[in-house]
Amino acid sequence: MITPGIVLLVPIAAPILAAAAYAVAGWRRASAWLGAGAATIVLCAAITLATTVSRSPLVGMGGLVRADPLSAFMLIVIGAIALLATAATPAYFAAEIAAGRATARTAARHSLLVALFVAAMSGAVLAANLGVLWVAIEATTIITAFLVGQRRTRPAVEAAWKYVVICSTGIALALLGTLILNYAATNSPARAGLNLAELTAAAHGLDQPVTRIAVALLIIGFGTKMGLVPLHAWLPDAHSQAPAPVSALMSGVLLSVAFYAILRVKAISDAALGSGFARALLLVMALGALTVAATLLLAQRDYKRMLAYHSIEHMGLLALGAAVGTPLALAAVLLHVLGHGLAKAVLFLGSGRILQLTGTTQVEQVRGLAGTDPVLAGCVGLGVFALLGFPPFSLFASELAMFRAGYAAGLGAVITLALLLVLVITAALFAHSGHMLLGNPSPALIEPHPAPGPERSDVATASAAPTPTAITTAVFTAPATTTTLAPASAVAQTAAPAATSAAASAARTPTSTVIVLIAGLLTCAVLGVAAGPLAQLLHLAADTIAATP
Amino acid sequence: MTETLYVQLLDLACGGLLLGAVLVLWRRELSVIIRMFAAQGVALAALVAVLAAHQRSVDLWVVAVGLLILRASVLPLLLARALTAAGPARRETRPLVNVAASLLAAAVLALLAYAVSRPLVALAPSPATQAIPVGVTVVLIGFFVLVTRRRALSQLVGFLLMDNGITTVGFLTTASVSLVVELGVSLDVLLAVLVLRILTARIQETFGDADLDELAELHD
Amino acid sequence: MTALGVVGGIAQPVLIVAGSPVLVGVMRQVRAHLEGRAGAGVGQPWRDLRKLFGKEAITPAGTSEMFRAAPLAQVATTLVVALAAPFVTTDSALGVISDLFAVVALLAMGTTVLALAGLDTATAFGGMGASREMTIIALVEPTLLVAIFALSVRVGSTNLTDIVSATLHDPARVASPVSLLAAVALVVVVVAETGRLPVDNPSTHLELTMVHEAMVLEYAGPDLALVELAAATRLAVFLGLLANLFLPWGIATELTPIALAVGILALVVKVGVLGAALAAAEVFMAKLRLFRVPELLAGSFLLALLAVAASFFLA
Repeated sequence: MITPGIVLLVPIAAPILAAAAYAVAGWRRASAWLGAGAATIVLCAAITLATTVSRSPLVGMGGLVRADPLSAFMLIVIGAIALLATAATPAYFAAEIAAGRATARTAARHSLLVALFVAAMSGAVLAANLGVLWVAIEATTIITAFLVGQRRTRPAVEAAWKYVVICSTGIALALLGTLILNYAATNSPARAGLNLAELTAAAHGLDQPVTRIAVALLIIGFGTKMGLVPLHAWLPDAHSQAPAPVSALMSGVLLSVAFYAILRVKAISDAALGSGFARALLLVMALGALTVAATLLLAQRDYKRMLAYHSIEHMGLLALGAAVGTPLALAAVLLHVLGHGLAKAVLFLGSGRILQLTGTTQVEQVRGLAGTDPVLAGCVGLGVFALLGFPPFSLFASELAMFRAGYAAGLGAVITLALLLVLVITAALFAHSGHMLLGNPSPALIEPHPAPGPERSDVATASAAPTPTAITTAVFTAPATTTTLAPASAVAQTAAPAATSAAASAARTPTSTVIVLIAGLLTCAVLGVAAGPLAQLLHLAADTIAATP
Repeated sequence: MTETLYVQLLDLACGGLLLGAVLVLWRRELSVIIRMFAAQGVALAALVAVLAAHQRSVDLWVVAVGLLILRASVLPLLLARALTAAGPARRETRPLVNVAASLLAAAVLALLAYAVSRPLVALAPSPATQAIPVGVTVVLIGFFVLVTRRRALSQLVGFLLMDNGITTVGFLTTASVSLVVELGVSLDVLLAVLVLRILTARIQETFGDADLDELAELHD
Repeated sequence: MTALGVVGGIAQPVLIVAGSPVLVGVMRQVRAHLEGRAGAGVGQPWRDLRKLFGKEAITPAGTSEMFRAAPLAQVATTLVVALAAPFVTTDSALGVISDLFAVVALLAMGTTVLALAGLDTATAFGGMGASREMTIIALVEPTLLVAIFALSVRVGSTNLTDIVSATLHDPARVASPVSLLAAVALVVVVVAETGRLPVDNPSTHLELTMVHEAMVLEYAGPDLALVELAAATRLAVFLGLLANLFLPWGIATELTPIALAVGILALVVKVGVLGAALAAAEVFMAKLRLFRVPELLAGSFLLALLAVAASFFLA
C-alpha cells in the first residue's frame, strides 16, 4: 500500500530520476519525452495530494516535507507548466539541432538541468522548514544559471552573470532574514524552530523589532527572485536570453515559487506584527514593479524582453493582491498564478518558435506572422489576449476579483493607480504584438532562415511541400518584388523553388508545439469559465495564509 | 574555558573579521584581496571554534573545521586559479567609488550596522550577541564591494564577504542552527562560487577580459 | 598638581629636549647601518644644532613676524605637551592640559604655525609644502582624536593620565580588538604627523617630493636650529605617547627615586626601540605618491572608527 508519505516524495524523486536517465541515455527519440513524462507524474501526484490534504496537512520524511492546500496548489501549477514546457522541448530542439545551433549533447544537458530544476521547485513548495525552502530556492538559481547562459554568445553570458550575482545577493539577504527569524523564534516563549507550521502558530510571541527586520529582509530577498523592485534588473536579461522552454518555466513557475515563499513569510508576519507591515512593504514593491514595467514596456524593441517586463508587471499584481490580504484577494492571487503561468508559458514557447523562424528578436523586423503561419499567429494572438486579461481566460476573473477585493479593503487609491499602469502596459503590448502579427510579412519571415545546406535540402526533398502554404508564400513573394526589396527578391526568385519548399517546411510549426500551445490556452480558458474542483482548493489554500487574526 | 578568556577570544576573532573586510576594501591588487579573504575565513573558523569550546558542542567543532576547509582553503584556491587564468590585468584600477571614499563609506556603514543591530542585541544580551554588529558590518561592506567594483573577481569576493558576514550573524545569534541547514548553506556557497568561476571563464572567452564594464550590451 | 606630577613636569621636558636629537641620531645610525653606510654618529644632530645656534640670525626679505615666531611657537607647544602628558610619571604637572583634546590641539597648533610660516615666505615651494601638510593634517587629526577616544571609552575619561593608569591596572585590555585597531591607526598617524616614510621622506633633497622640508627651506641659523629641535621633540613626544598608551609598564606611579629612575629608563628604552623599528621599516619602504596618501589616511581613520564602534558594542 502506498503510504501518504511516499506521495510527498514523488514530485521530487520523479524529475531526479528523469535527470539521471538523461545523464545516462543522452538525447534520443525515446529519451526526448522523459522530461514530459516526469512532469506528468508531478502533476498526477499534485492532484492526488490536493485531494488528500483538503482535510488535513500531510507531513513526511521526518518532518522535512509537508503538504497543505497551498503547497498542493503550487505543485499543480509547477506540474502543469512543466508539462507544457517539457512537451514542447523535443520539437524545439529538433529545430535547433536541424539549424545547427545546438547538438544532441546540449539538448541532453538542457533536459537534465530542467528536470533538476523542476525537482528543486517541487522541493521548495513541499519544504516544511524555512531553511530547507531557502536551500531549494538557492538550488534553482544555481541550476538555472547554466540554462540561461546556454548559448555561448556575449549577451547570454552577460545575462547569466547578472542573473547569478543579483539573485545570489538577494538570496543571501533572505538567508540573513531566515537566521534573524530563527533567532527571534528561539528566544520566544514558545521556543519554535524554523518549522513553518510551528512558526506560524507561535508567531504572536515573537519579538517585534527583530521580527520586523527579519521579515523585511526575507521579503526583499525573495522578492529579488520574484522580480520585484529594487533588485529586478536581472529579469529582462535572463528571461530573454534563455532558450524558450527555460524562459517559459522561469517566467511561469519560478517567479511564482518565490511568491509562494513570500506568502509563507507574510503569514508569519501577519501573526507577529499585524497585517500592516507586510502590506505596506508589498504595496511599495508592487507599485514599483508596475511603474518599472509600464515605463520600460513602451519603448521596448525586443519581444522576448517585452514578455519579461510583462512578467514583472504580473508579479507586481500578485504582490498587490497579497498586500490586500483578504481571503478573496488571496484566492484570486492563486488563480492568477496558475493563469499567468499557463498564458506566459504559451507565449514564451510561441515566441521561441518565432525566433526560430525569423532569427531575430526585434519587434520591428517581425511582421505579418498571420500570413505566413496562421496557427502559430493564432496561438500567439490568443495568448496575448489571455495575458491582457480578456474573457474567457482566467486572468480576467482573477484580476477582476483582485481589484474588487482591493477596493473592498479600502485600498482604492492604490488600486486605481495600479489600474492606470496596467492600462498603459495593455496598450503597449497590444501595439507591439499587433505589429508582429498583422500586416504584410516582413523579409525575415519570407526569406529562409540561414542554415547549413545538406540537412536543409534533405528536409526539403523528403517532405512534399504542402500546397496551401506554398501558394501563400508564392502569393506574398509577388508583392515583395514591388517593394524596395527588388535586388533581394531577384535572388529570392532565382532560389525560389528550393526557397519556397525550404521556407514552407521550416515555417510549418511542429505538431507537438501546436498541441502544447493550444492545450495551454484551452486550460486557461476553461479555468476562466469554471474553476471546478479547483475552486475549493483555492479557498482552502487562501485560508491557510489568511487564517490569522 | 573561563568567561573572560572566552570574551577576549571572541572579541579578537570578531576584530579579525572586521580587519579582513576593511583590507579587502582597501587594497587594489587582486591577489592581496584573495589572501585577505582567506585570512577572514580563518578568523570566522576561529570564532566558531571559540563558540564550540564555550558550549562544549561537538557539532560546532565539526562546523568550525568545515568552515576552515571551505572558506579558508578551497574557496581562495578556486579564486586564485581564476586569477591566474584571468590574464595580465591584476589590479582593480578604477572602482566606481575611489578607495579613499569607499573607506569613509565603510565607516558610515559600520555606524549604520550598529544602529540597525540594536534590537537584535537587546533581545538576548550576551557576549556573543553583542558582537552581532560586527557581522552586519561585514555584510554591508561585502555588499558595498559587490556594487562598486568593476572586476568580476572583486565582485565575487564581495559576495563571499557578504556570505561570511551572514554566517557570522547566524552563529552569534543561535549556535543551534540545524546541521542540515548549515550543510545546505555551505554547499550552496560552494556551488555558487563554482558557477561564478565558470561564468568568469566564459566572460574571459567571449569578452577577452573580465572587466565587467564591458558588459553593457543588455540595457533599455 | 601632586608632587609626583611636579617632579614629572620637571623631568619630562628636560629629558625629551635633551634626548630627542639623540633619538634622531640613533634612527639615522640604524638606517645607515642597514644601508651599509658608516653613518655620521649618534651625536651628529646635537653637533648640527650647536653649529646652527652659533650662526647669524637671518630672515628672507618680505617675511613677517609669523616667520620668526613660528619655530618658537612650535617648540613652545611641544614643550607644554612634554610637560603635561604622562611620559615618566602617571601624574601630570598641569592636570587639565593632559586631556586628549588639549594635547591634540597643541600638537596641531604647532603644525599649523609652521605651515603658515611656509606660506609667509611667498615662495612656490613654501606654499606647496604648506598645502600638502594641511591636506595630510586634515585627515590625520580626526584619526588621532578618534583612536585615542576609543581607548578612553572604556576608562570613562579622556584624560591621558587616566587612560595610562587604567591600562596599567588591567593589562589584558591591550589584547582586545579595540586596542589593536587603535594601535594600527595610531602608528599611521605618527608616521604622517612626524613626516616619516611612506608619507614624507625626511632626508630627501628633491624639492618636489618634500612636504615638511619644503616648508622650512627658507630657514637658516638659530631659527633652523629651533625648527629641527621642534621636529625632533615632536617625534619623541609622538613615540612616547604611542608607547605609553599601549605599553605603559615601567612608568612611575609613586614618588620614589627608584620608581623615577625606572620610569626614565623605561621611557628611553621604549622610545628608542620604537624609533629604531620605525627607522628599520623605512629602509624597506618607498614613499607613497601624494594622491595615494589620502587612501592610507582614510584607511587608518576607518580603523580608528571601527575601534570606537567596537569599544561601544563589544563586551
